[in-house]
Amino acid sequence: MGLEDKLPSGIVLTSVEKLAGYMRKNSLWPATFGLACCAIEMMAAGAGRYDLARFGMEVFRASPRQADLMIVAGRVTNKMAPVLRQIYDQMAAPKWVIAMGACASSGGMFNNYAVVQGVDHVVPVDIYLPGCPPRPEMLMDAILKLHDSIFDEKLGPNRERVIKEVELAAMNAKPTHELKGLLA
Amino acid sequence: MVHNESGMFGASGTGDTSGYGGLVRQAENPGSAQRPYGGYFDQVADDLERAYPDFADAIEKVVVDRGELTLHIKRERLVDVANILRDKLKFEMCMGVSGVHYPTDTNRELHAVYPLLSITNNQRVRLEVSVPDTDPHIPSLVEVWAGNNWHERETFDMFGIIFDGHPGLTRILMPDDWQGHPQRKDYDLGGIAVEYKGATIPAPSERRSYK
Amino acid sequence: MIVPGLAFGIISIVLGALTGPARYNRAKLEAYECGIEPSPQAAEGGRFPVKYFLTAMLFIIFDIEIVFLYPWAVTFDALGLFGLVEMAIFIATVFVAYAYVWRRGGLEWD
Repeated sequence: MGLEDKLPSGIVLTSVEKLAGYMRKNSLWPATFGLACCAIEMMAAGAGRYDLARFGMEVFRASPRQADLMIVAGRVTNKMAPVLRQIYDQMAAPKWVIAMGACASSGGMFNNYAVVQGVDHVVPVDIYLPGCPPRPEMLMDAILKLHDSIFDEKLGPNRERVIKEVELAAMNAKPTHELKGLLA
Repeated sequence: MVHNESGMFGASGTGDTSGYGGLVRQAENPGSAQRPYGGYFDQVADDLERAYPDFADAIEKVVVDRGELTLHIKRERLVDVANILRDKLKFEMCMGVSGVHYPTDTNRELHAVYPLLSITNNQRVRLEVSVPDTDPHIPSLVEVWAGNNWHERETFDMFGIIFDGHPGLTRILMPDDWQGHPQRKDYDLGGIAVEYKGATIPAPSERRSYK
Repeated sequence: MIVPGLAFGIISIVLGALTGPARYNRAKLEAYECGIEPSPQAAEGGRFPVKYFLTAMLFIIFDIEIVFLYPWAVTFDALGLFGLVEMAIFIATVFVAYAYVWRRGGLEWD
């Protein structure tokens, strides 16, 4: 079980990676996690005009066991955070998370006792999508970027190497308040 | 009861001449109204007096302000008055309970406000009960208007008013083990400092002096 | 026709199990209850509340009754008055059982 983690690196692995990436990114099934206003835009993205069915994603699975993508659309309160984590845990790997909207990415305009300041305090996030709410086209752009990153995901020993590199880069990176913004 | 209302951007001692910093208003809660109240309020008050002989004992004051009638009731008489209002005066609907916190009003810090609506007579009246912070108990009105169940839970969660006789008084909006009552005036807004490129902005409640 | 169908089903399950990543998480083994901790299930002995059994039994009985009603409804004309009277007697008999269950509180869920 879990053959993909055990393949030796080389041409075979690269081809398998491409194949697995291609198959995984087409028809990602989202799990319903629409919490607030962003959920309306997510519904609009799934509806007729901005069609998510063109990616095979119109099936929003209510059960996390059948879903591979969790679009956290809306503000997550402190009361909802354990529920969010439980749903994420019950999804089967491989799974990805899009933090849709300002509230899911960083707490949005709600910097208070009730709202979790960014859903990445609770689950690991792959794509942060700003907006209040983001238009359906922006959500589709985020999904397309996620498709590209899924296609480029590595397997086996390549994956472990990438994870190590990313971790090293994050540890050596300058903290945000030491970076120079556009107005500096 | 007089309290000070000051502008939100109360940055004092900064040379801020916009007027926002120094804007302090004395706001007063409206006092007792005298008869005649005007409109249908007299009829409601007369009917209540006729149906409830202990009327003068139960009512602390009657306030008529901006076209709305508010009856301040003592908490011991609340259930009786509510029953009379529902059965005899036909105030079938209660819009829920709202809590108010006046931290400067010693011994009457927490108020619970019940807006009532009579659909048959098209009349609105408001009941207000005041309790001290040291003894925040109010009898529950769930037997009178069953829809008050969750509203009373919310008022308990946000203000700490304990409703005696409620079938299940637990927190409803905050997590079950939360400490504190968030909508009180002395409860901090919470929130964290936000890190931007080049600066860290403190949490909203620390940014300017919100008086 | 049935062979490729069966083959497709079996192959996708087997292939998925072989190649998929295996990441253990305790929450995956628990029942899905919309994200909250699932309410404790019946432990050793499998002691379920009896109301589930009652509901299942009552369903079986009245479902069988309905099954008997279907062929009568289909051949209603041919059976005529005799069929109607006999069916009425049958329904009355099952109705006694229904009244008994109702009076004895079998239809109360809690």
